[in-house]
Formats: sequence, structure tokens, C-alpha cells
Amino acid sequence: MAMAALRREGRRFLLPTVSSAPTIAARPAISNEESCLFGVRSISTQIVRNRMKSVKNIQKITKAMKMVAASKLRGVQTRTEASRGVWQPFIALLGDSPSIDVKKNVIVTVSSDKGLCGGINSTSVKVSKALFKVYSGPEKEPKYVILGEKGKAQLVRDSKDHIMLSVSELQKNPVNYTQVSVLADDILKNVEFDALRVVYNKFRSIVLFIPTVSTILSPETIEKESEAGGSLGDLDLYEIEGGETKSEVLQNLTEFQFSCVMFNAVLENACSELGARMSAMDSSSRNAGEMLDRLTLAYNRTRQASITTELIEIISGASALEG
Amino acid sequence: MTLNICVLTPNRMIWDSDVKEIILSTNSRQIGVLPNHAPISTAVDIGLSRIRRNDQWLTVALMGDLARISNNEITISGNDAEISTEIDPQEVKQTLEIAEANLSRVEGNRQAIESNLALRRASTQIEAVNVISY
Repeated sequence: MAMAALRREGRRFLLPTVSSAPTIAARPAISNEESCLFGVRSISTQIVRNRMKSVKNIQKITKAMKMVAASKLRGVQTRTEASRGVWQPFIALLGDSPSIDVKKNVIVTVSSDKGLCGGINSTSVKVSKALFKVYSGPEKEPKYVILGEKGKAQLVRDSKDHIMLSVSELQKNPVNYTQVSVLADDILKNVEFDALRVVYNKFRSIVLFIPTVSTILSPETIEKESEAGGSLGDLDLYEIEGGETKSEVLQNLTEFQFSCVMFNAVLENACSELGARMSAMDSSSRNAGEMLDRLTLAYNRTRQASITTELIEIISGASALEG
Repeated sequence: MTLNICVLTPNRMIWDSDVKEIILSTNSRQIGVLPNHAPISTAVDIGLSRIRRNDQWLTVALMGDLARISNNEITISGNDAEISTEIDPQEVKQTLEIAEANLSRVEGNRQAIESNLALRRASTQIEAVNVISY
């Protein structure tokens, strides 16, 4: 009963004074003068209990988010692995020349819309910015095309003039090839380029995501390179059927290659996002658990301290009456 | 000597094995490919392709693909491809009816092209199902 009275007194002082996070131990001691002896500094049990409740809720939420991400990951992972084969014939046919030096580079950054997914968006943006520096020079200015809100938020801060196009809410409906090919078509229509560099996080495993850059050259660049020889020179060995000119076929090829690579990039990034969110939420739940343990100890200490002080009061009072 | 053929779509790999012969239909004509064919890259139209494996012909319905042949390896990558055995006849009949209905109700050039394509796709699938294997 005494404890309940103490708590009531503490609360009456608490309500008008405590405003934000009860991280400060000194303030409750001053406001709870009635609830403890002079000279004894302690945290009120009420504050600790409130804190414990909120930390427990956070732990539940992050655990649920991890489960949701894990279940979504399973579906996307199978689709990603199935889509990995589609762009390989293009590499076999046209070769892969990431170190090619061209005037107009367009950097396509694939990022996520939602946060709480670890560091993958920052890595993509870092790689994009590094590529920007690499390809900048006299008469050469790279441009950005951004997919996803998080990439846009980070790149808008310092490269606002270089962003040509930005797309968001790509993942509202499950990603399918038709949607991505329409998007790729849009990009190809509105953007002039000699080379497209697609920056995304490749999904290696649930804990490993590797920032990757895929290069797609424009048809004119391919023609120039194939005349110059090298890996693209083998293109002329192929006989083109169908009565179309070589440049038309190359145009179709590059458009198709771009949409295939984009599809794969978007899926891989989605997989990486879910995996990163799983591990971020997992470590968050673990931290919340540790914090809860510490708070429980503090709560028990406080509780026992106040019981002890009460006992001391009673006993000293009783002995004073006797003596 | 056999050809190794790989049919890919963005969603999954449809077919990957060794075959003896393959007949593709490109936009000008049909071409047959035997082992040791010259390297060739071509666009495949919406239509049927036939694959012969040990005297048994298999039909695949392709919807606008790109075929690349070199060194006895064929890669067909495209928007969509379906093996005739995987196509459900009832579903395809319904799709064909819907496509025909859409074509008659069309307004504007773009819708005309789209519904034409849809009709061609559906009729290719029907043909794939109905073909007599020999």
C-alpha cells in the first residue's frame, strides 16, 4: 500500500514535468522528491516501465518486418535466378566492354523505395557518384536516370542538374517483364546515350550483396567498335537474316538487351533489398532484446532500492518511538 | 553431331538440350538449321518453331524472339515462348476468342496494332496445340 501511494505521488510530479525521453536519471529524482529520501538518487519505476513497454513493442515490430521480408524474398529469389540467363546471349554475341571510352554516358541507378534496408542504397549511390567522377571530363558529362525514391533523395542533394529522369514506386505491383520493357522503352526514347551503365546490387546470398555495373552500348558505338576490331569485331562473322540492314538489327538488339538487363537488375536489387532488410531487422530485434535486459535489471534494482528505503524508514521510526 | 539449343525468356529458361535439327520461322521465310550451320543471327517472328530430337518433332510457339546460331549452339531469347505440350487448349481457345472480339471493337491505330499482335499470338498458340506431330 505504501508503494502504491509512493507511485501515485511520483506520477503527480511526473506528468507536468517530464516531456520527452526519460533517459535523464537526474530529472526524475528532482521531480519525485516525495517518493524517495533526501540524498538518494533513483529513477522512478514508472519511467523504466514505460521505456520497457516501448522497447518491447519495437522488438515485436522489427521481428514481424523480418518475417515479412523473409517470406517475400523466397518468391523474388526464384524469379531472379530464372532471369539471370536472359542477358547472357547478348554478352556472347556483342561482348562486354565496360572500359570503353565514350562521350555520352548515362548512369542508371537502381534503388529501393522503402527504407530500413541497411546500406544497399548508400552503396549504389556511392558507386554512381564514383562513376560520375570517372566519366566526367572536358566535353564529357554523364547524366543520371534514377529508379527508386531512396536513390533520388540522396542524389538530388548534390547532382540535381544532372538527373534526366527519375522513376518511383516501381515495386508497387510485382515486377514483370512487360512493365520493365515499357520503362526501358521510355528511357531509350528520352535519353541520348553512347553507353548506359546500370548500377545495382547483385544478390549473391542473404548476407552478401555486390554492387554491380552493367554496360550497354548504343548501336552506333557497337558499329564503330566492330569496325575497329576486338571482341566486337566477331559480330561481322554472323550473317544477318531477314533482309534488314545491320543497323536496324543492332538497334533491336540493343533495345532488347537493355530491357533484359534492366529486368534482371531490378529483380536483383529487389532481392538484395529484402535480404538487407532481413538482416537489419534481425540485428534491430537483437539490440532491442539486449536493451530490454538492461532495463529489466535497472527496474528491479530501483524497485528493491525503494523497498529497502521504506523498510529503513519504518524500522528507524519504530526504534525512535521505543527509544 | 548435335545442336545444343537454349530457349530463354525473361521469366525462365524454357528449353535447354541437344537436338538434331530445328526449323525457325523468321519474318521473311522459314529456315532450317542442321549441325555445322554458318553463324547467323536473326529475328524470329511470332510463329511456330519445330525442334527435332531423335526423330521426334516438338513444337514451340515463339512470340518475337532473337535467334543466334554459332558453333552448333543456338540461343533463342525473347519475350515469350511456350512448348506445345505446356499449352492448355481450353485457355488458348478463350484467349483467341477474346482477341478476335477485341479486334472487331478496335478504335485507333495503336489499339489496332496491339489487338492484331494479341490475335497473332493466340493463333500461334492454337496452331502449336493442334499440330500433328510426325
